[in-house]
Amino acid sequence: MAGFLSTYGFLIVSMVMGALLGLSLYLPLMTGQLSLASPGFYALGGYIAAILSTQVFKVSDGLYPIGLVLLEMSIAGVVSGVLGVLVGIPALRLRGIYLAIATIAFVEVLRVLSLNLDITGGAVGIFGIPQPFLTPIEYLWIVIPLLLMSMVLLYRLERIRLGRAFTAIREDELAAGAMGIDPTYYKVLAFTLGAILAGVVGAVSAHFLNTWNARQGTFDASIVYLTSVLIGGTRTFVGPVLGGMVFTALPEVLRAIADTAGLPLWLAQFLRDGRLIIFGLLIVLGTIFFPQGLVTPDLFKRRKDRKSQS
Amino acid sequence: MDITLFVQQFLNGLSIGSIYAIFALGYTLIFSILGIINFAHGALFTLGAYFTYALMGEAFGLNGLLANAALPVKLPFALALILGSALAGLVGVAVERIAFRPLRRKRADSLLTVVSSLGVALVIVNLIQYLVGAENYTFPGNTYGNLPAAINFGTAEKPIPIRTVQVVIFGVSVVILTILTYFINRTKYGKAMKAVAEDPITASLLGINTDGFIVLTFFISSFLAGLAGTLVASSVSIPGPYFGIAFGLKGLAVIVLGGLGSIPGAVLGGVVIGLIEAFVPADYSAYKDAFAFGILFIMLLVRPQGLLGRRFVQKV
Repeated sequence: MAGFLSTYGFLIVSMVMGALLGLSLYLPLMTGQLSLASPGFYALGGYIAAILSTQVFKVSDGLYPIGLVLLEMSIAGVVSGVLGVLVGIPALRLRGIYLAIATIAFVEVLRVLSLNLDITGGAVGIFGIPQPFLTPIEYLWIVIPLLLMSMVLLYRLERIRLGRAFTAIREDELAAGAMGIDPTYYKVLAFTLGAILAGVVGAVSAHFLNTWNARQGTFDASIVYLTSVLIGGTRTFVGPVLGGMVFTALPEVLRAIADTAGLPLWLAQFLRDGRLIIFGLLIVLGTIFFPQGLVTPDLFKRRKDRKSQS
Repeated sequence: MDITLFVQQFLNGLSIGSIYAIFALGYTLIFSILGIINFAHGALFTLGAYFTYALMGEAFGLNGLLANAALPVKLPFALALILGSALAGLVGVAVERIAFRPLRRKRADSLLTVVSSLGVALVIVNLIQYLVGAENYTFPGNTYGNLPAAINFGTAEKPIPIRTVQVVIFGVSVVILTILTYFINRTKYGKAMKAVAEDPITASLLGINTDGFIVLTFFISSFLAGLAGTLVASSVSIPGPYFGIAFGLKGLAVIVLGGLGSIPGAVLGGVVIGLIEAFVPADYSAYKDAFAFGILFIMLLVRPQGLLGRRFVQKV
């Protein structure tokens, strides 16, 4: 067990963080809004944690206190939330494609800024971010409670007035407006909640990865997380959680398959280097054949029905 | 800023802006007909540049599956440009068949189509990387034949040198824009295209083959993307398969500035952003790419329908 944890510790923590990022993309999707901003807030949260821990708190001896990590996570969450409102209001007054475009622009502006500012370390980034734990697997102490909390909140959210308002907007914004739901308010709320979550995850991730640079939050990253959410499922929070985990692990799985003996050389090479081609194909096929993703609410209902029958 | 430098930057901005314009026109054509942004547009831009490069008989690098491969033909640049763009256009038609038509048949949410076009973009870009590697490809030095490297637009005492490439880019863009405007406003096919954009159902009742015109629109749009890609690449180089993505994102800023779905808007937006970027002070040139997106945000706040767009009223 100990050997397994030390070999796969990094991957396991990454998978949980992938699930959390999937959820941060899922929140705006609950109101039917395509946001590609999660990696932007993720990068922002990471920079906040990296700068605070290397330049402000400066704990030199021993392990970095977990309390300070939690403080950084809160600060990252608050800053991301405020920025989320500021970005969300202009973009979400409008319908359709505008949010996707505005969030792409937001991610690009952040990327250009982080590449050029001194405080973010320019193109090189920030190194030597202090570690609160001795081994990667111990990061589970932070990310598992975070994931459980988010899942419980979302489980409740999908069943109270707020969540129903989100769904109503997704199904028909005009009709929802006619029912007395203020679409802009709820869309900004959903978008901001996603932003906060992404910022908080970024703060943990900066410590976890030890270094942080402008490559963390790119357009590419947006698409990979979008894939995980869309294939996982956009109608229940279980979809993004499973999708985020599976797609974070997928490159490793593909590499493992490529290493099995007996595969033709071209296939092995394709599995190793063609990861993003496979992702792209999955996105296209997924949107055409499984527009609601693989994990749908019906799946749970059907199982319940079957149980009650037997 | 003295007058020579001003004129020089102005002409350079006009040249870059004209490229933005023909590239953004491709987005606009598809948006006006389907109400969807084709996120594979940037990838087709890249693809066009690679096609032209290959058609000129240049060899590819050592990385990737096609290491050191080269076509046996060496076409002159003008011919390779047209053929390469046409090939990009054909790929655009394939993209429509694979990623757009199945969803249109199902009357799926337009958001899903956006996502599937993102998927296609991912496939194209990474396929390029897989086949020819991520290295920098420079067009041969004699791409523009025996033309001088720069043309003087000033006097002998006060020279205003402009790179020949920029002049060619501007010239080609103006020609393309003229042809396209004539095609859309004056010919039977162009008018039918406008009818499909206005109302596909009514257009089909009037005997217009809407699917056919959607395919035609994709061909023209992707042709423009390939053309823009080749021209930009011939001016600088092909810095790798991702170069169209950044350009594609900037194209979004152009069409939001001009107004989604407005053809004159795309041209105006392109020229405005080209000029603004040309006049970004040298001290801030690292932030140049952020300016276009800053403008995008301001536009969304102040005038979401864009400079020349129509106000969009949602009806039940």
